[in-house]
Amino acid sequence: MNRKGWGIAVALGVLALGVAGCGGSSSTQDLTGQTIQVAGVWSGDEQRDFQQVLAVFEQQTGAKVQYTSAGDQLPTVLQTKVAGKNPPNVAFLAQPGSIAQFAKEGALKPLPADVQQTVSQHQAAAWSKFATVGGKPYGVYFDASDKSVVWYSTKAFDTLGAQPPKTWADFVTLSGQLADAGVTPMSIGAGDGWVLTDWFEQVYLQTAGVDNYNKLAAHQIPWTDPTVTKALQTLQQYFGQDRYLAGGKSGSLQTDFPTSVVNTFAAAPKAAMVYEGDFVATSIQSSTKSVVGTDAKIFPFPQIGAAAPGAETGGDAAVAFTDDKATMALMKFLATPAAGQVFAKTGGFLSPDKDIPLSVYPNDITHTMELQLLKAGDNIVFDMSDQAPPAFGATKGSGEWKDLEDFLANPSDIAGAQQKLEADAVKDYTTS
Amino acid sequence: MTTDFLVAGVAGTPRRGPLTRATALLGSGFVRLILAVIALLWLVPIFGLFASSLRGEADNATTGWWKVFTVPAEITAKNYQDLLANSTVMQSLLNTVYISVPATALVIGIGALAAYALAWMRFPGQDWLMVIIVGLLVVPIQVALIPIAKLYGDLGIFGSLLGVVLFHVAFGLPFAVFLLRNFFAGIPADLLEAARMDGAREWRIFRKVVLPIGLPAIASLAIFQFLWVWNDLLVALVFADPSSQPITVALQSQLRAFGTNVDLLATGSFVSMIIPLAVFFAFQRFFVQGVLAGSTK
Amino acid sequence: MTQLVAKDGGLPVGEGEATPRARHRRGKDGRSGNAKWLVVLYLGPAVLLLAVFIGYPVVYSIVRSLFDRSGSSFVGFHNYVSVFTDPNTRIALRNNLIWVLVAPAFVTGLGLIFAVLTERIRWAVAFRLVLFMPMAISLFASGIIFRLVYQEDPGLGLANAVTVSVHDIFAAPSQYPGVLPRPADGTTSTSDGFTTVRTFGPGDVLNLPMVGMTPNKLPAQAVPATPVHATQGQLSGVVWLDIALGSKINTLGHGKKGMPGITVQAIRNGTVTATAITADDGTFAFPDLAPGSYQIRMPASNFAQPFRGLTWLGSTLVTPVIISAWVWITTGFAMTFIAAGLAAIPRDALEAARVDGATEWQVFRRVTVPLLGPVLLVVLVTLIINVLKVFDLVFVIPPGSTQADANVLALQMWQVAFGPGSGGDLGEGSAIGVLLFLVVMPAMLFNIRRFRRER
Repeated sequence: MNRKGWGIAVALGVLALGVAGCGGSSSTQDLTGQTIQVAGVWSGDEQRDFQQVLAVFEQQTGAKVQYTSAGDQLPTVLQTKVAGKNPPNVAFLAQPGSIAQFAKEGALKPLPADVQQTVSQHQAAAWSKFATVGGKPYGVYFDASDKSVVWYSTKAFDTLGAQPPKTWADFVTLSGQLADAGVTPMSIGAGDGWVLTDWFEQVYLQTAGVDNYNKLAAHQIPWTDPTVTKALQTLQQYFGQDRYLAGGKSGSLQTDFPTSVVNTFAAAPKAAMVYEGDFVATSIQSSTKSVVGTDAKIFPFPQIGAAAPGAETGGDAAVAFTDDKATMALMKFLATPAAGQVFAKTGGFLSPDKDIPLSVYPNDITHTMELQLLKAGDNIVFDMSDQAPPAFGATKGSGEWKDLEDFLANPSDIAGAQQKLEADAVKDYTTS
Repeated sequence: MTTDFLVAGVAGTPRRGPLTRATALLGSGFVRLILAVIALLWLVPIFGLFASSLRGEADNATTGWWKVFTVPAEITAKNYQDLLANSTVMQSLLNTVYISVPATALVIGIGALAAYALAWMRFPGQDWLMVIIVGLLVVPIQVALIPIAKLYGDLGIFGSLLGVVLFHVAFGLPFAVFLLRNFFAGIPADLLEAARMDGAREWRIFRKVVLPIGLPAIASLAIFQFLWVWNDLLVALVFADPSSQPITVALQSQLRAFGTNVDLLATGSFVSMIIPLAVFFAFQRFFVQGVLAGSTK
Repeated sequence: MTQLVAKDGGLPVGEGEATPRARHRRGKDGRSGNAKWLVVLYLGPAVLLLAVFIGYPVVYSIVRSLFDRSGSSFVGFHNYVSVFTDPNTRIALRNNLIWVLVAPAFVTGLGLIFAVLTERIRWAVAFRLVLFMPMAISLFASGIIFRLVYQEDPGLGLANAVTVSVHDIFAAPSQYPGVLPRPADGTTSTSDGFTTVRTFGPGDVLNLPMVGMTPNKLPAQAVPATPVHATQGQLSGVVWLDIALGSKINTLGHGKKGMPGITVQAIRNGTVTATAITADDGTFAFPDLAPGSYQIRMPASNFAQPFRGLTWLGSTLVTPVIISAWVWITTGFAMTFIAAGLAAIPRDALEAARVDGATEWQVFRRVTVPLLGPVLLVVLVTLIINVLKVFDLVFVIPPGSTQADANVLALQMWQVAFGPGSGGDLGEGSAIGVLLFLVVMPAMLFNIRRFRRER
C-alpha cells in the first residue's frame, strides 16, 4: 500500500545518547531523562491519536518521546539523515522494500531477542516475516490495513434494492444493473497509480493463488506469465466498460484517490462503489458528510476463483536505527497490545496484534475488517507493490503504476501491458 | 508614489511621435484599464485560495471554490480559528522569523561586499571568479543535502538554527552577488572617481556612494531572499529539529495523509503570508529612492 | 546621447593615482590593483561560504557520479550511459528545452512591460503587490492551487468550469447523456447512433427500451409510457426508460416513463427518409412513409455525453499548463527587479534625450532599455537557470498518469537520487545533476562573452 506522503518517515537524532544504565530486568524500565525523537507517518488528527500511544509509554518509563511527521519529502529527508550519520531512532516504513533497502545498507539494527519474543507472542508469524531481511528481523508491525474490502454507498444500492455481490460474476452483473439504472457503479482513483496496483493484486491473488503471488512479488516468475494474463483479462471485464467507471477511463486517470472516495460518498455522488482498504474510512470522515457504518458500508472483495483466498494487507513497521535501551524499549512497547489498544479505540486503525480485545474497535466496520484480518492468520500476503523495489512499485508516473495506468487507458492491449511491466520489472529489480 | 520621470516634469517639450500620439488618444486611461484587468486576472487564483480557506474540507473536496458566492452558508472561520489556536504552528512562526531575518541580512551584507569587490576592485582572476559564482546558481539544493548533512554531523550543528541559516545564506549568495555586481557596475565611474579624488577609502566609497545608489536593488533582493527562506520547506525539513522548525514544516505536519488538504494549505498560506507581505511593504518604498539627481558633487 | 551612459567595468585604466590612502597600487603589469588583503576582506566570507556549501557538494557529486548506487565501486561512465539511454531523459530534455525557450523570455518581457507601464499609474504599489503575492505563497501551495484550477472535473476545476459554461452557451447539452438501448435487443451501435438490425415497414410497431439513466432525472414532462398499437400505414413505436424497481425488463408498466424529445430517423438504403420526435409519453410515428423496409435509428446526438472541458493535465497540455503556473508566480519577480532598475536610471540621461528631441518610444528604446541592460540580463539569466531547476511544480501539478510526460531533469534527478524512485541511486542522480549543469552551460557561456565584450 502506498499512501501519499507516507512511506519512509524521518525521526531526528537522539538528543541524549545516554545509556539507560539502571532498570535492568523489570518489564518497564526507568528511562527518566532520556529523549527519543520519533517521526512517524501520522499527521493531523491521526498524529494526535498516535501521540496518545506515546504518552502511555512516557508514563510507564519516564522517557520523553518527541514526535514529528514529514510529508512528501520523507524519502529525501530520511536518505539525507542516514547518509549524514544522523538517522532517526525509530522510523515507520510502509514498504518492506524500504526496510530491505535500509537493512542492506546496514542502517537498521536487528531486533533483540526480547522484542522478537513479544512480537511472536502477539502477532501471527507472517508479520515478522514481512519485516525480516536476510534472516534477521528488523521491524515491528504496528498497524495493519485490510485491502480486501469494497466500500459502497447504501443510498446507491437502495435505489436498486441491490445486495452486496459475493462473486465476481455477481459483481459485474450488479455493476451493469447499476449502470443501466443511471448510477455509475465504480469510481477508480487511477490518477494515483497505486490504486490500480491494489486492484491488480487483489485479482491476481484470487486467480493465481498465494504461492504465485509471492513468487511474482519477488519477480521469480515474469510478468508475462499466463497467470498474469488471466488476471489482466479478468480486470479487463471491468476496466473495458467505460460506463462502469465514473468519468470513464480517461476521467479515472485524472482522478486521484481522495477524489474517488468523494465521488462515491459526497452529497451529490457520482458513483456507487470504491475499492480500497480500510483507510477509505478516514477519507470519508474528513472529506464527506457520509457516516461510516450507515451511509458507507463494506463487503469483502468478490470471490473470483473457487477457493477462499488469503487476505491482502499492508501496514507500517517500526524500525530502529539505533540500538540503545530506550529505543528498543519503545520498539518492545509498540509490539504489545497496550500500545495498539490506545490507537484502536479511536477508530481508523487495525492492528496485527491478536490480543487486543475486539470490543475496543469502535464500530462494526472496523470489527469486521479486524476479524477478517485475524481469521486469515498466517494466510496473509503483503501488498505486492510495497514489496517490490520502490522504483517499480512505489513511484508516481513510472514502473508498475504507470504501466497499469496505460493498461486502463487501453484495456484491450493485454500483451502490451505485460511486456511493459516485465521490462520495467527487469530494469528495477536488478538494479536494486 | 508616482515616479513619473518617464513622462512628465521634464525640461523641454517632448516631440510627439506616432506612438505618443496614439497613446495620448487612447489616454493613459487605456493603460490603466489594461493594467486593472491584468491585476484582476492575476488575483483570481489567490482569491480562489482565500475562498477555499473559508470552506471546510468536505466542501472543498466536492465543489469548486466559486460556490462560496452561491452558497454563502459554506463560509466558516473555523479553519483560521483552528490554525491560530494551534500552538505548534504559532511558535513555528517565530522560528521562521529567527531563520529568515539573519539569513536575509547576512546574504545582503556578504553579497554586497563581494559584489562591490567584483565590480570595482581590480585583481587577477576577477572575471573567472564572477563566472564561477554565477555558474553556482545552477546547483540545485538537493545536490548539497547529503554532503552538508555529513559535514554538519561532524561539526555537531545538525539540527541547529545556525545550520539552517548558513545553508540558506550560502545558496542565496550566487544570485545576490550576480544581481548586485551588475547593479554596482552600472554606477557611473565618474562618481566613484570623484569620491576617490576626494580621498575616500574603499569602505567609505562603498558606504556612501555605492550602497545608497544600489538601494533599489538591495531592497528587491532583500524582499525575495526573505521570501525564499520564509517559504522553504526542504532545507528546514532536513536540517531543523522540532524546536527550531519553521512554519512550513509545522504546516506540513498538519496535513492529512489523504485528501487534498486544500483547507489547511490555503489557511496556512494566508497566515504565513502576512509577514512577507509586511516586508514587501516596508522595503518597496526604497525602489523609488536612489534616483540620481544629476550629480553627487 | 550624453556621456552618462555608464561604463560597465572597472576604473579607467591607467589613471590610478598613487595616493596611498586610496589603497591603490600599481601592479607589475602596469594595471592598478587593490591591496590583496582588501580584496580578501570583501570577498572572503562569500567565497568561503560558496566553496563549502556549493563548491564542495558539486565536486562531491561529480566524483559520486562515477560510482555505483552504494558508493563503493567505481563504475566510470556507466551512470551516464544509463542516463542517456533512459527514455525518460529524452522526454525531460525535450521539456526542458521547451521551458527554456519559452518561459524566461516571456516572463522577462512581461516584467519589463509591467514595470514600465506601472510608472504611469498612481496605484503602482497595489499592482506590484498583486503581482508579488504569488511569490509569497510557497511553491507547493501554488502547485496545489493550479492542480485544482486545471482539474478536469468541471465541478472542481475553474478552467473547465469556465470552458464548459462558455461551450454550453453555444451548444446545449443533450438530454440523455450515456443512455443506450438494452443490449441484445436488436440494435447495433455505430458512431452515428443506435440503428436497428431488423427492418420495419408501415404498420409495424417498434419497442425501444432504454437504460442508463435514473428515472427521476427524466425531463419534467415525461409521462408513463403505454403500449402502442399497430396502425395501418404508419410506422410507430415507443421509446421508454426501462428501469423500475422490481419490474420485468423489456416490458412496459410499473410506472416506466417514456422519453420525450428523442429524434428518431427512418432510414432506407442508407439515407434518412423521415424524422420524428418522441412525444411526452415516448411515442413516435412516421405517418407518411412509402411502403418498404426501413431501419430505425436514434442519432448519437440524443445521447451525447456532456462536454467536460479539456484535459488540461493530459499529456499534450500539461507542460504549457505548468509553464502558465510558473509565469503567474515569477512575473512579479521580474517586474520588481526591472522596476528597481528603472528607479536607478539617472533622470539626466532621459532629460537630455528629450531635450535632444527624442520621442517617448525613442527614449525608451535608445536610453531606457540599454541602461536597463544589466538588470534585464540578470533577470533573464536567473530565470533561465531557475527554469532549469524547476521541480516543485512539475512534481505536484500533474496526476501520476501524466507525470512522465511533464518530466524535467530536475525532477528526474530528485526521483533517481532520493525518490522512492530508484531508491537512492546517488550515483545516477549525480550524473543527472552533472548533465543538468552541462545543459545550462550555454547560458553561462553567453554571460562570459558579455563580460569579455565589456572590457
